[in-house]
Amino acid sequence: MSEDHAGPAATLAARVRHLEALLEQRGLIDARELDRSLEAFLARASPANGARVVARAWLDEGFRARLLSDANAALPELGLSMRGGLQEQRLKVVQNTEQQHNVIVCTLCSCYPIALLGPSPTWYKSPAYRSRVVRDPRAVLREFGFELESAVQVNVWDASAETRYMVLPRRPAGTDNLNEQALAALVTRNGLIGVAPA
Amino acid sequence: MSRINDVGGMQGFPPVEEEAGEPAFHADWEAHVFALNQALLRHGVYNLDEFRDAIERMPPAEYLTSSYYELWFRAITVLLAEKGVLTEEEMAGG
Amino acid sequence: MAELFRPGDQVRASRSDPPHHTRLPRYARGATGTVLECQGRHPLPDRRARQLPARPEPVYAVRFAARDLFGDGDHTVTLDLWESYLRLAGLEGMR
Repeated sequence: MSEDHAGPAATLAARVRHLEALLEQRGLIDARELDRSLEAFLARASPANGARVVARAWLDEGFRARLLSDANAALPELGLSMRGGLQEQRLKVVQNTEQQHNVIVCTLCSCYPIALLGPSPTWYKSPAYRSRVVRDPRAVLREFGFELESAVQVNVWDASAETRYMVLPRRPAGTDNLNEQALAALVTRNGLIGVAPA
Repeated sequence: MSRINDVGGMQGFPPVEEEAGEPAFHADWEAHVFALNQALLRHGVYNLDEFRDAIERMPPAEYLTSSYYELWFRAITVLLAEKGVLTEEEMAGG
Repeated sequence: MAELFRPGDQVRASRSDPPHHTRLPRYARGATGTVLECQGRHPLPDRRARQLPARPEPVYAVRFAARDLFGDGDHTVTLDLWESYLRLAGLEGMR
C-alpha cells in the first residue's frame, strides 16, 4: 500500500475509493448508482420517521393498536415502510407504560431499524452499550441522565434475529394541547431506542 | 463460537459515551463502505451471515480497536479475497 | 412443518458453543425462558454463514429473567432465537 501522510482516515478513504474503482472495472458495482442509492437512503430513512409514528400513535388509539399488533402493516398509513434493504424487515414496536419500560440493543452486532430510522448512533454499536445494557440497563440509562423509578419493570430486547425493534415512548405530561407535528418534535432517537423518556 | 463480537453481559467495558449531534456518517468513505456492502449483498457476492462471520472472526484486539466502518471495510476485503473476486495485492495497490 | 413451541412454553437454550457463526449469544446458553411469540421463518444463520443449504425454520421471541441469565437483576431480556437453538425445558434430548 502506498504511504499516505494525511493520516489513517485519509488512507482508508483512498483504499475505499480504490476498491470501488476495482469493483466497477469488474462490473460488480456502478459508482453512480451507488451514489444515487445512498442519497435516496439518506433522504428516506431518519429518526424523524420514528417520531412521526410515535406522535400518530399518541393521538390515534386505533393506529396505536394496529402499530403494536403489526407495525409493517401500519407504517404505510404514514407513507413509511421497512423496505429499502435486501428485503422488507419485520418491525416490532414495544410500548412503554407506567409499569413497563423497554430498551433495545443488538449484543451480537448492531441490528437496528435502519430502513426506517437511518444509521444507528455510534454508541449503540459500541461494545460498552452492547455488553452492559443487557446486564444492568438501569445503570446504562443513568449514564444518559435517565433515572427510572425502581417500581418500573425494565424489558431489554436483544435483536438477535430478523425482527427489528422500536420503542413507543410514553406521551409526556402537559402535552394535551399539542398537535401531531408538535408532538413529533418531542420525540428523540434516544427515546425510540429506550435510553430517554421520549 | 464465543467470539469477540459476543459481548452481551460482559463486565469491564466503560460507561456509554454519546456524541452530541452525531451525523448519519462521519465521513464520505463510511457512507461508501455502507453502500458498497449493500451492493455486494444485493449482487449475491456474499450473504449477510457470511459478512457478519467475517467481522466476528477478526482478531479480538483488532475488533475492539477498530471503528465500526473500519470493521466493515476489513470484512468486505476479506470476503472478496476469499471468494476470488479480487486479490489482496490488487486491493492494497493503487 | 408446524412450530414446535407455543407462546407461554418454557424453553431452554442450547449449551453448545459451535465453532462457527451463530446467533445464540453466550449469555443465554443453557438458560430457560418463556416463548412470547413466533416471528416467522428464516434459514438458520449457522448454516447460511457456511453456505450450506438451510430451510426456513421458526424463530421465536423468548423472554428470560435477568437473574436466570446473570444471577441477579430485576429486569427481563428478550432474545429472538431460531428453533434449532431451543428445546422444551425439562425435556432435553427429546424433540
